Amino acid sequence: MRRLLLAGFALACLAAPRAQAEDTLNPPHWQSEGVFGSYDKAALQRGFLVYQTVCAACHSANALHYRDLDGIGFSTEQIAALAAGVKLSTGPATLDDAFKNPYPDPQAAAAAFGGAIPPDLSTIAAVRPGGTRYIFNLLTSYAAAPADFLPLPGHYYNTAFPGQQIAMPPPLKDNQVTYADGVAATSAQEASDVAAFLTWAATPNLDASKEIGLRAVLFLVFLAFIAIATKRKIWRETV
Amino acid sequence: MSTLSKPWLQSRFPLLDSFRTYLTAPVLPREKPYLASLPVLIAGALIFQLLSGLVLSLFYNPADAFNSIQFIDRSVNYGWLIHAFHETGTTMIFGAVYLGIFRALWLRNYKAPGELLWFLTLGKFLVLLLIGYLGYVLADGAVSYWSLANSIAGAFGLSGVPGGIGVWFFGGPDGAGTLPRLAVFHGVLAVAIIGILLLHHAARRGAEPPVTRGVSLHPYYTSQIFAAFVIYALIFAVLVFFAPHLGENPLNRGPANPLVLPVTVSPPWYLLPLSNAGHVFVSAWGALFAVLARIALLAALPWLDRSAPGKPPGFPHKCLSLVLALDVILLCVWAMQPSSFIGGILLVLFTAYYFFHFIVLLPLTTALEAR
Amino acid sequence: MAESLGEIVHETEVIVRRDFLKILNAAAGAVAVGAIAWPFIDALNPTRDALAIAQPIVDVSGIAANTALRFVWMGTPIYIRKLTPKQIADNQFVVTSTLPDPASYTDRVKPGYETFVVVIGLNTATPCELLGNDPADPRGPFDGWTCPCDGSVYDPLGRVRSGPATKNLVIPKFTFLNDAQIQFG
Repeated sequence: MRRLLLAGFALACLAAPRAQAEDTLNPPHWQSEGVFGSYDKAALQRGFLVYQTVCAACHSANALHYRDLDGIGFSTEQIAALAAGVKLSTGPATLDDAFKNPYPDPQAAAAAFGGAIPPDLSTIAAVRPGGTRYIFNLLTSYAAAPADFLPLPGHYYNTAFPGQQIAMPPPLKDNQVTYADGVAATSAQEASDVAAFLTWAATPNLDASKEIGLRAVLFLVFLAFIAIATKRKIWRETV
Repeated sequence: MSTLSKPWLQSRFPLLDSFRTYLTAPVLPREKPYLASLPVLIAGALIFQLLSGLVLSLFYNPADAFNSIQFIDRSVNYGWLIHAFHETGTTMIFGAVYLGIFRALWLRNYKAPGELLWFLTLGKFLVLLLIGYLGYVLADGAVSYWSLANSIAGAFGLSGVPGGIGVWFFGGPDGAGTLPRLAVFHGVLAVAIIGILLLHHAARRGAEPPVTRGVSLHPYYTSQIFAAFVIYALIFAVLVFFAPHLGENPLNRGPANPLVLPVTVSPPWYLLPLSNAGHVFVSAWGALFAVLARIALLAALPWLDRSAPGKPPGFPHKCLSLVLALDVILLCVWAMQPSSFIGGILLVLFTAYYFFHFIVLLPLTTALEAR
Repeated sequence: MAESLGEIVHETEVIVRRDFLKILNAAAGAVAVGAIAWPFIDALNPTRDALAIAQPIVDVSGIAANTALRFVWMGTPIYIRKLTPKQIADNQFVVTSTLPDPASYTDRVKPGYETFVVVIGLNTATPCELLGNDPADPRGPFDGWTCPCDGSVYDPLGRVRSGPATKNLVIPKFTFLNDAQIQFG
């Protein structure tokens, strides 16, 4: 009986987050958060567009390959067309190439940015404390420096970054990209979507993990009852 | 033509007879708690680690360690799950090992005739710590890279026999050959621990008092161990699918960077009870002495405990065990905090209490109990 | 007779009730072991980048008309040729019954991409690599390929026209992902 209730509760929780396309900005939240959350593929696709347009100019993502984009919901033909638009040193990119690294080696990157090499974004959402929320805050917390704060040359004031000054110029503007599904591309929306995309990039298998996990846990709870009951039955029989 | 009296397989494979006797001889006590099956659970979990580690080793490349692990996570079918099995399995095994050690202290299982079993338990614990640490540095993340660099620097900094052993183990300064070598050690030790497990199991039969009206292993204890295993698997499943990076420093999920030192270079959580000695004894020799002394005190328990053999532990002893466990946990927690004046004093106090417990409190309390 | 049957049924009932739990236990345990074993077994299947070797993608947008790209796929040379309008016109309406190995134009090209011919560049009689990718190579009377070993002649669609060979050039398994890329396999 308890098992049925637990299963029902779990299914209800599973069903709830996918119900409506709601406002994810006030307050900022992501569908993948929480024990039963799953990735919002539409947000991931929008985030990939922002990444490709804005971030990929300076950041690498060496662990990601174009073939991995089928996890966002693109078809093979769409990804092949997408990749073909990327010019690598060996020609147009194919499905099996890694995401283009804008610089051939770290020295070139350091030379281009005065030593502040843009970090690789493949696992950034897992490494930075706070993950998704930290990325969102970082991208939306650029502000004018207070009167008594003088940032170093080449640095910008950002309240979310430890030390309050970051070498990355504010990357997002309103309507820098045009979303195919018609969502308004405010800079906050772009930040939310690219944060979702980078979270997916760090842990692409989160959905599968939670799905298999739910089934495994329910089955093991059932098996635990059976195993304990069998043990007690066997002991009662002869001992 | 003579007909064999035994069935075909058994006449050609006499081990089956011994196995049947092992399963059905009524030599086990009539009631053992579920927690008594911890060593069997740990053994099963280690076999599981071996299998997942074997699959990982097919794709792991020590020359490009971090990227090969990213490849496993992203491009190998279920690679992310095998990797999570291996990581969470480590957490679960050490949780079970620490629980088992605490249980042995609580129940006084180290007293005669259980001394050999106790030594084998400690030996198993130490080898497991080494295997775990090697696995941690093999990941070549931002933190474990520096942890390895510190260990090698420490080993090279020691002189004499400990220094010689350290240098021999690492085979030279941190370079291209270090990770391939440590990968082989990780695998070899993992196989060797199976041997220690077998010895441990063989010693257990000798450590338990003989039973007059006993029950057989099968089906009584096989059903109990199976039930215990399902509960262990349930906890494991919750962790592996919903919190696979529990206890891991999130910085370690990024690539190693020789130019950037992380704010805290911490070892994996299961090494903290020993490595926190490095926060109190700042020199390498001091830390080494502290670690060896703590292990030696644990090993000397059968003689430090002055109670009569076979006597169950009384209330004072149980209190002492709980306080010791609390002390070790607090030591670990405080070692993880950023250093401060109060923190430093507390660390010294907690470390001193550990030694005080074994050298003074325990012999005193147990001797008083025995009277 | 009826009594003993009744006894047997009753006995079975008792046994099933007593052992049902144990059997359920064992069966559920077996299911768990099987479910756990599957990821381990599947992890040893080819990884997602093995497809890169087994099913490579080739960019064909750079091939000029009347030339062919030579591409090696797991040891086998593949020729991807772009046809000129004259070659298409000459070969499109050949009566197939006159060919040693009858095949029509539509059999040899993919619908929608009729200017590309993709064949394995080995003579079907003697395993010898063909000449004719470059316009300066000996292409034979049909402006296709020739075999330097036994003199077999092929047309631009890879159909055999004369010589010891009697079978057309083999067309490998491939798909056009878009106008510019072919994926093999």
